[in-house]
Order: sequence, then C-alpha cells, then structure tokens
Amino acid sequence: MTKKLVLALAVVACLTGVRTVRAQAPAADSPPPATSAVAATQDGTPITEADLKAAVKPTDRANGDPDGALTGTVNDIAISDSATGLTLSDVLNQIGANRIGVNFAWTLLCGFLIMFMQAGFAVVEAGLCRAKNANHTMMMNFMVYGVGMLAYSLIGFSLQMVGAGAVANLGGTPVLNSEFTINLFGKDLGLFGNTGYLLMHHGTYDVAVMVIFLFQMVFMDTTTTIVTGTCCERWKYSAFMVSTMFLGAFTYPIFANWAWGGGWLAMLGANFGLGHGYADFAGSGVVHSVGGITALACALILGPRIGKYTRDGKANAIPGHDIMWVLCGCFILAFGWFGFNPGSTLAMSGNGGLRAASVAVNTMLAGMTGSFGGILYMWIRYGKPDASMTGNAFLAGLVAITAPSGFVNPVASAIIGLVAGVLVCLSCEFIERVLKVDDPVGAISVHGTNGLWGVIAVGLFSDGKSNYGGSWNGVAGNVTGLFYGDAGQFVAQLMGVATLVGFVFVMSFVVNLFVDWFVGHRVSAQSELEGLDLPEMGAVAYPDFVLRAEAAMVD
Amino acid sequence: MTFVGLGVTFLGFIIAFISLGVSQSTAIRMVMVFAGIAVSLFGIMGVITPAYQKTWIWKK
Repeated sequence: MTKKLVLALAVVACLTGVRTVRAQAPAADSPPPATSAVAATQDGTPITEADLKAAVKPTDRANGDPDGALTGTVNDIAISDSATGLTLSDVLNQIGANRIGVNFAWTLLCGFLIMFMQAGFAVVEAGLCRAKNANHTMMMNFMVYGVGMLAYSLIGFSLQMVGAGAVANLGGTPVLNSEFTINLFGKDLGLFGNTGYLLMHHGTYDVAVMVIFLFQMVFMDTTTTIVTGTCCERWKYSAFMVSTMFLGAFTYPIFANWAWGGGWLAMLGANFGLGHGYADFAGSGVVHSVGGITALACALILGPRIGKYTRDGKANAIPGHDIMWVLCGCFILAFGWFGFNPGSTLAMSGNGGLRAASVAVNTMLAGMTGSFGGILYMWIRYGKPDASMTGNAFLAGLVAITAPSGFVNPVASAIIGLVAGVLVCLSCEFIERVLKVDDPVGAISVHGTNGLWGVIAVGLFSDGKSNYGGSWNGVAGNVTGLFYGDAGQFVAQLMGVATLVGFVFVMSFVVNLFVDWFVGHRVSAQSELEGLDLPEMGAVAYPDFVLRAEAAMVD
Repeated sequence: MTFVGLGVTFLGFIIAFISLGVSQSTAIRMVMVFAGIAVSLFGIMGVITPAYQKTWIWKK
C-alpha cells in the first residue's frame, strides 16, 4: 500500500514537473521531433501530444536565448527508445539521474578543492621552515600526494570503504558490502574491508565507487601531509616515503573504516545504544587527529632539531623563512576547507544535502573565531599579535569544526572555533616547553589536539536539528550532544578519542619504529646543519641567495 | 621503557573498549572511557616521552 502511494505521488510530482518546464517555454505549434504523437508509459500513463505541444523547437532558438528561458526543456530529456518516444519512465529516470548527477558533481568538485589544499600545506610548511630546507620540505609535500595515493589505491581504500554499505546520495553502492567482523560482547564488530583491491576487484569498477574513492583519497592525503610539517628539517627523505606509504595503506584506512566504513566505532549506537555511534562529519578525528597523533609519534622517534633546545632544556625559537607564504597558505587551506566540510554531505540534492549551506557557514565562523582566539591570546600574553600563531589558530578553528560542522548551529561553531584558537596556543607551549617535542609548524597542536577537541565538541554541541535522511550510522533520528540531552553520544565521541590516543598512537609508533630500524628516520647532524636541500635533494630552493650560517643559531 | 609506555598507552584503549561489555550504564561507561584516555595520555606523556628524551641530541 505504501509503495503504491509513493509511486502515485512520484507520478504526480513528475507530471507537475513536466508542466512546470512547459509553462516556462513559449507556445509552439508542433510537438518536439524526438517524440511520437502519443507516447505511452510502461505503466499505462500516457504522455499526450497536448502535454508536449508547448515544448520548445530547435528553431525557436535561432536568434539565441539570452534569458535562458528556451534552454533546458522537455527536449533535453534523454529518451531510451527513439521509436517509442518519450515515456514516463524516461522522465522518472531523468529525475533520478539529475539528482545523482548533481551529487556527483558536488562531491567531485569538493574533492578537487580538497586536492588543492596540498598546495596550502606545502607553502605553510615550507614558509615555516628555514630557507636551507625549503626544497626538501616542498618535495615532501609534493610526493606525499603520489606516495599516499599509490598506497591508498592499492590497499587503503579497500580496507577503509569496501564494507561501508550503500551510499544513497551517490546512487547506491551495493558492491561496498564486504566487511571483516569479529563477534565480541554479543555483537559483530567491523574491523576492515576485505576485498575490492585495485578498484577493479569485487565490482569496484563502478562510477559511484570512483566518486567515493576520489573524495576519500584526498582526505587521506591531507592526513599524510600533516606529518611532514612536524618532521621537517630533519627527516630522511627515504624514511618519509616509507612512513607515508604505511600511513596511507594501513594506519589511516583502519581508523577511517571504524569511523566511516561501517566499522565498530560507527556502530556504537546501533550495537551498544551510545547515541548515533561515533560521529565525525568531515574528519576532525579521522583526518586531523590521525595525522597529528602520527606526527607526535614520529616527532618522538626523530627527536628535536639541532639548536632547538639548549643543554639545560630551554627552547629556542627557530623562525620560518617566509611568513607571507605561511599566511597565503592558510587562506588556500581555508578555501579548500569548503570542499572538506560542505562536501562531506556527499549531496546537494536529497537526504539533507542542502544542509551544506549551514556546514559552509559553520566552517567560516569557526575559522574566524579561531583566529580571534589565537591573536588575542598571543597579544595579551606576549604583547604582539604573532602572525604564525594567528595563522595556526585560524587553522585550528577549521580543524575543530570539521567533525561538528554538520551537526551544530552557528553559535556553537563560533564557540568551538574560539576555544580552538586559544587551545592551539596552549598546546604549542605545552608540547614545546613541557614535553620538549620539536614541532616546527605546530601540526601536533593544530591537527592533533584540536582534532580531538572537534571530536569531543560533536558530543557536546550537536543540536539534533541536522537531518541526513532520517538516521545516522543506522540509528533513527538526528545526532544530539550532551548539552541537548544525549549523554550516550558524548560517550561515543570519547570512545573515539580513546581509540585515537590509545590505538592509533601505538600503531603509528610501532610502524615508525620499524621504519627507524630498517631505514633510519633521521639525517646526519652534518646534513642537518648544512640544510637538507643539498644532501637530500641535490639542489637548493634559492640558489641566488646567500643563506645565513647555522652556527649563529646554535647555543 | 618505550615498550612499557606503548603497553600502558594501549592498556588505556583496552580499558575504554571493555567498558562496552562491562556495563549498559552510560555513566559507568563514561567513567571507564575517561579513565582509559587518562591512562593512554600517561603512557604517551609520562612514560614514552621521558624515555625518548634521554636519547635526544640536546641531552647528550
């Protein structure tokens, strides 16, 4: 009965849509050439000549169509059989194709925007390192794209997404149905996808899968490029490539599967009644925390740069060589973030796709308040509005809003960003002065600390107003945080945090210990003092400039 | 000490994870997850970091 009612409504909506198009077109004397006099539909509902008589003829556009009223009419509906002419099935299929086409276009374009963030990361990191290491840092950011993509396309995507299930906004992906699970506490807990390698196996040679791959691939590459910032100026290039390969193939995809690929964290709501399960709209945890935590593991193994600390443990400031590139890079990243967050609706049509507008505004607001939080903190504490920390605070606001952007309102976004802007300054001071971990660009604080804050913020500020098709992670209703009455969601988010600091850190550390044993992470002291451009890359970034002697900076 | 630190860090994750099976109560789970996070952070900042600092170049 319900199916019949839905079908009847669809037919009425369809015919109404056709008439709307016709009403916008000028009167015509004859039906369009592609249709027969009377076209019959498969279910017997005819589209009559009268229905089509107002359609635009190609000759009507002989003098152009300056206001667009004659472009995009019934003539443009794809016909499956020219002998039969236009049928209701053609119209219905066109409606479905239009919806999925809009969503494909939106998701792909957002993926392209995210890809451009690689340029932002490259110039931010290169600007914050010294000139003698600029070529090396840029080349790490350049090759992280290729190395990460290779690993992800060979193995990572399958581990992450092949158990994700159907993605309705992209036309359904029935081939993403193979998750390896174990039974614990009486529930099946998903651990990783176990087929579909090389984008060929198990039916993954599929247009919808390709869209998801591209979108997820650029997310993964963002994670890998976070690590290069923390480890710059002392990381052996060969070790960087091996480490990045592992991150793209295993570490990132495993956690991303648990969060986005139908894994056990996503199912905390369905299996254990914890809200809607771990919710991470665009990746504060999946992308940024994984990157930041891996960066911390690598930085511990690498140790600080020569000259960063005196023998009594006092930290020296080692300023970057080009603050203009740093702030330009921040703007490039902020631009790319409009792909990151709004694009994570994976839709503009249906299932809450229009909520992308709210996500975009939340993203803007959090970046703004983040920069305000950082600049005010630095101004009050040190008497000057520090440029690099203001840029980092801007990024911290964006990182923190990445997970909650789809679930919170604008006021909450502003609060989340403001907290992130102050938090990144405190975290940088703590990591540098207490932990004595050398992080030249502040990536551990920007992405690690604030990624965790973003994950927690979902569990606090989600207002229950977002609706992405009536459910999230298989639980009916909308994601609602602790401040709006759902303590279970808060616990689910904390479980994500525990997994990031307890599991992802250990996995990253062990992987990079192996890399250190077999390849060696750190360059020689001589190479480091000389600058990595010549010893590691064979060419300097600025051959026409004379660089200042390193010895002057060393205590 | 590095491997002890890794063990402690991972133990924090285990504490949080087994909260799923120990109790149906959201409050008890929340306490256990908080405890797990604290243990993991202690493993990273209180054990692994000091162990590695001994090898760092400015300590030599």
